[in-house]
This record gives sequence, C-alpha cells and structure tokens, in this order.
Amino acid sequence: MRTLLKTQDSQSSVGSGFLVEDGTLLVSNYHVVSQYALQPSRHRLVYSTVDGQQGALELLAFDVVHDLALLRLAQPDALAGRGAVKLRPADEALPRGARIFSLGNPLDVGFAVAEGTFNGQVERSFLPTLFFGGSLSAGMSGGPALDDEGRLVGVNVAARRDGEQVSFLVPAEFVRNLVASGRSKAPIVAPAWAEITRQLLQHEANLSGRFLQLPWREAGHALYRIPVPQEQFMRCWGRGSPQAVRGLQFERSDCEMDSRVFVSGSLLTGFITVRHEAYDGSKLGALRFSQRYSDSFRNEFIGLDDRQRTAGQCLEQTVGAASRGGRAGPAGGPEASARSAAANGLPLRAVVCLRAYKKLEGLYDLSVLVATLDKSTAGVQGRFDAFGVSLPSAQRLTQHYLDGFAWKTLRNGPALPNATP
Amino acid sequence: MTERLALIEVLDRDGHVLRSADVLQWPFSIGRALNQQLVLDDPYVAAQHARVTQDDNGGLRLMVGDTDNGVRLQGRLHPRGSSVALVSPSTALQLGLTRLVLRQPGEALAPERPLPVQSLSSSRNAWLAALALLALVMADHALQLDPGADATAWLPVLVGTPGAIVAWCAIWALMSKLFQHRFDFLAHLWVALPWLLAIEAVEWVLPQLAAALGWPLLWRLVVPLQVLLVAILVRQHLALLLPQHARRMTLAVVMALLSGSAVILTFTHNATDRFSRPPYMSTLPLPAWQLATPQPAQALVQQLEGLTQGLQRRVAKARAEAAEAGEDPAAD
Repeated sequence: MRTLLKTQDSQSSVGSGFLVEDGTLLVSNYHVVSQYALQPSRHRLVYSTVDGQQGALELLAFDVVHDLALLRLAQPDALAGRGAVKLRPADEALPRGARIFSLGNPLDVGFAVAEGTFNGQVERSFLPTLFFGGSLSAGMSGGPALDDEGRLVGVNVAARRDGEQVSFLVPAEFVRNLVASGRSKAPIVAPAWAEITRQLLQHEANLSGRFLQLPWREAGHALYRIPVPQEQFMRCWGRGSPQAVRGLQFERSDCEMDSRVFVSGSLLTGFITVRHEAYDGSKLGALRFSQRYSDSFRNEFIGLDDRQRTAGQCLEQTVGAASRGGRAGPAGGPEASARSAAANGLPLRAVVCLRAYKKLEGLYDLSVLVATLDKSTAGVQGRFDAFGVSLPSAQRLTQHYLDGFAWKTLRNGPALPNATP
Repeated sequence: MTERLALIEVLDRDGHVLRSADVLQWPFSIGRALNQQLVLDDPYVAAQHARVTQDDNGGLRLMVGDTDNGVRLQGRLHPRGSSVALVSPSTALQLGLTRLVLRQPGEALAPERPLPVQSLSSSRNAWLAALALLALVMADHALQLDPGADATAWLPVLVGTPGAIVAWCAIWALMSKLFQHRFDFLAHLWVALPWLLAIEAVEWVLPQLAAALGWPLLWRLVVPLQVLLVAILVRQHLALLLPQHARRMTLAVVMALLSGSAVILTFTHNATDRFSRPPYMSTLPLPAWQLATPQPAQALVQQLEGLTQGLQRRVAKARAEAAEAGEDPAAD
C-alpha cells in the first residue's frame, strides 16, 4: 500500500495491508495512511498486489489508538476471487512459542514472509499488544501475522531497534471491532482531526481513570513520601550518582509508558511519564546546594510553539502538602482549614504547565514540576507529564501528583496525623 | 593693547579648536586670499568668502561674498550677496568645509567640565566598586565549585574577570584615542566598574528576593534590568568619548535599546507566547528565607481552567493563520 502525493505521483509512505471479509475491504495500520487521513486533498492511496496489479483505495475508518485503518477498494471487483484473511477466533488462545508468519513488503523491496514465534502479550503495556519473536522491518507495517492455518493473529505494527527480533502486533480483536464499526461508513475525504480528537479523548479518559485509581508506590526516601507510579503499565528505571562524588549526590527514577499513540510523524501522544530526583547536598553546604538545586529546577524544558501545539504556559505557586501521603486536608472542609493545613505542610514549589493542541481541540500536554523547599541541604524534585489529556483529567492528575508528596514524619515530632486540624 | 572685540575659532573635524583669530576691528574679512584677515586653507572657500560688519546700532551682520558655496549659519545656507544679522553672542558658521565659531562678549559659558581622570582620593569609590565586583564574582565562582576543588579551578575567574574588564576598557580607550586623541583607559575603567557591580548585584539579590517572596514577576525583571544597566554603561562610555554630543549619544542608546528590545520581544513572543523566555521562576529559596505562605494545592489546580482560556485564544489564532495559508481545515 502506498500513499502518493497527488501532484507528483511520488510515494510519501509505503506499508502493507491485507484483504478481509468479502475481499473488498483492506486492513492496514493507521500510521501507514496517516498522511492521507490528515491531508486528503494532497494525497491519494493505492495498492499494488504481489503480482503487480494496482488500484485506488478509499479510507473508511481508523482506530488511531490501536494504530489500525480500514480501507475499501475503489473498484469493488478489482481483486475478486483472491479471497481474504480470516480472523483467528478470540476464544482459541495461541500457546506461547507457537509459530506465526508475518507478511509484508519490507523496505519496499518486495513481498516477504517472516517466520517467528508468538510470545503472548507485551508486559506492562497499557494498550494490549502482542509480542512477536521475529523480524519486522519498515514497510511491513499493516501486514498480517498469521497462524499456521492462515488465520489472523495480529497486525504488524512496530519493532524495537535496540534488540533482536523484538517486534509487536496489534491483536486481531481490534481488527474485528474496526471492521464491524467501519465497514459501512462513507469514505473519509476531509481531514480527520475531529475523529482523531474523539478517539484520543476516549483514550485519555480511560488512561487517566486507570492511573488515578492506582495508589502511589513507596519510593523508599528517608524524609519524604514521593509519588512513584505502580508498574502495571509503566516501566521505571533508576540511577544514582557515584558515591565518591564530592559534590551533589542524587538518585533518580524515570517511569515511562511503552504505549504511545501515533497521530502523525511529528506527534506522538496519549501517554504519561513520571520522574523524580532526590538530592543530597550534605557534602556541599546550604549555599552551594541551593545554587545547584535551583539550577536543576531550571533545567526543565517546557515546549515552545510548534505546528502541533502552542507554547507551554505555566502557573506557579508555593503549595503545602498537608497530610501524610494522603489528601491535603479533609475533602469539602472549610477553606480556612485547608489554608492552615497547607501552611503547616511540606512546602513545595509547584509549577503546572499546559500546552494546547492546535488541531486536537480540548487536548493538552500537562507538565507538573515540584521541588521540596524545607531542607537546606536535601530535597526532591519531581516531574509529571501527561500527553494529550483533557482539562478535567489534567486537574485531577495534578491534584493526584501534588498529593503524592508529604513528609514521612513531622519535622520535630512523631508521625504526622492523617488530618491536620 | 587693543581691546578684543570678538574671537573666531576654527574647529577641526572632531569639533576641537584648531586655531583662533582675535577680532580687533570691524569689519572682519574671511576667505582664501592673503589679504583677508582670517585666511582659510580650504579649497571650498572663495577668495573673499564673507565679511562681518558692525551696523550703526552696534549689531553685527554677516555679508556673504563672491562665493558659489555660500555660508551655512546655524544649519541654514545663505547664498552669495546675502546678509544676515548675527544676534546670538556665540554663532556657528560653516564656510566651505571649515567650521567656525564667532564668540562675542556676553556669551554664556558652559560650566567647567571635570577632568575625566580624577585624583586617586576621589576615585576611592571606584576602587571599592572594583573590590566589591571581584568579591561577588569570586563568591559566585566559589558556589559553582565543589568543596576541595583544585586551586587551578580559580584561575579562570582570577585571570578571566580582570582580563575581560581590561579588554573592555581598552577598546573604549582606543576609541577615545580616535575621537579625543588621548588613551582614556582609567576614565573608562572608573565608568565601567560601578555599573558592572550593579549588574552583578542585581544577579545576586533580585532572584533570591523574588524566590523568598514567591514573586515570579520580580524574578522576570532581572534580565530586563541588567540589559538596562548595560545600556546605561554603554551610554556613559559614549558620553566620555564624545562629551559634546552627550545628548545625541543618550538618544542613540535609547533608540538602540528600544529597537533591540522590540526585536527580541517579538522573537520571544513568537516562540513562547510570552514576553519573557523562561516559562517559570526557577530560583528556589533557601528554607530560612522562604517567606511565601504555602497555599493549598487545590487553589493551584482550580486556576488551570483560567490558563486554558489564554491557550484557546492562541489555538484560534493558529487556526485562522492556517486557514489564511490555505491549509486543510482542522475539521472532519
């Protein structure tokens, strides 16, 4: 499958696809046809069969979150008699290690069949994704991965380049859903930003909802409760400065989601990252520590204006994290009580920034920066980013993140009570 | 001795007096011919170029002689054969390329200008400024270094800072040599030190004060204030260079400051939608100086809605620009 520039007839993207149902519908990846979906007036879609037959395609529907697209032959009988790929029934689980065959057009060199093994679902992935132990190359995207009876297991979608034979498939169940919902739709002829926005809003509500339900994990810091996410759908990596260093000592934790939503070549969205650095400046003294601590806080990038998003705009405030790892003050309590609790809580410098998407109305990138302010030679700085979230989700996630910071014990006394009067 | 009725000064290209001629009687003739009372060696001056006469009332008149180029008086050209009354006690004339000043009794003298290089005792403040500046720069460097740093780590600041200041003042002194014909190194150094100290002090004090009070606006003023101080510093150097054009120099610096600021603010606004590049105040206060009362996090969260209104205005503008550029509309 090729996306061609209308005016030049030169290809701007190449991928693979396969016939389903009655042989007039094709399935591929959204990212193979994204240029057409976003700029249909400048592009056209064509297929080219293994034996050289060519023809035009129409885009009926797509699932941007799972990276699938449903297309239709412009001439319905053009490929009559060639059959179609059947989907493997959902209730027939494939054993780990089973042989599967991935088909496609790697690097536009020619049709290829790549043999590999089925390895179940990718662990800690928010979006269900299958782990294919075989080689996928660019150009095979959108091609089918079939079991030994020729039934669809998944759709080729991506591969890791930092490993060997670590590739990924979109499970067949999402193909089933897309075909069912999109087969009778009218072809897309105008930019599909509104539909992408609708799907991304649904995705972010789902992601934010699940994220907010998970309690923060213990970071193991001696002084502070620091918000570190559970690893159900995130992966955290830690590193620290060498012990022998004379200057600032730190330990760092980086948590990221593997699943990201491809919208266009310049826009990946729909994911969350959480990071913190715990600093120990006992070898430095208060003034030197303060200088490095501020430098580190400055060293955070908030995006500039680009084609996709506005420049980030920020709010900043010194806030008090009032309770011991819980909510800051009783919910619905009097404002004065909340103020008093905040004034006596762990002082944090908090910066909350939003970038609005220019073409995905109602979606924002959220960045929350936090620095603890109570110790002269120690501190924690955290950063929470949520890409492609609505305003209500951004508000809830910000509150959730700020609430994750607290003292483990009172500065000069016993463990902090749960609610400060 | 005959009484001096007036004095005519011939100025050089820098406005300094090249020579002067006493006027002992009226009329007084000026030209290239040897029979003129003031002989000008200027190919653009006629043989009998001009004459200054005294009328019956004692007032002076300039009579323009047989010249193609005429006489320029206070910026206005007077052609051959014309005459004009010289009312002002101090009159600037231009004959050909030669500039003259006719000074009459009763002119208002400008006050005595202090010498640029003052005595050592009166430059004590400048020395104090130098010491304070070096102390601040050293303290800044000390904060950058980890404890127990090698002594060589101090070399850049110990050599670099005085070296940079000397180089800066030497460049100005060279320009003084060009315009004033003297190498005014110390004068430029005395001008530079207090302003450099002020620039460094702003860097030290304001961010900490802003962080302690929790006032980001004050923090954002640091860079503009430093730019203003640099502009004042440059203006002071220029005033030393061309003291007779001090007002013009001030105007030039103000214009440069305004146009430079406009360009930078425009670029900054295009990239960030703000007039200040840093997105937030990054200086964190020392715990002992933390004066801002912590607020509940909910208050901050609630303000997010207000933030989106500004962002949506920017989005609407971007869409309007895209539509103008003929891009596909962002609608299904």
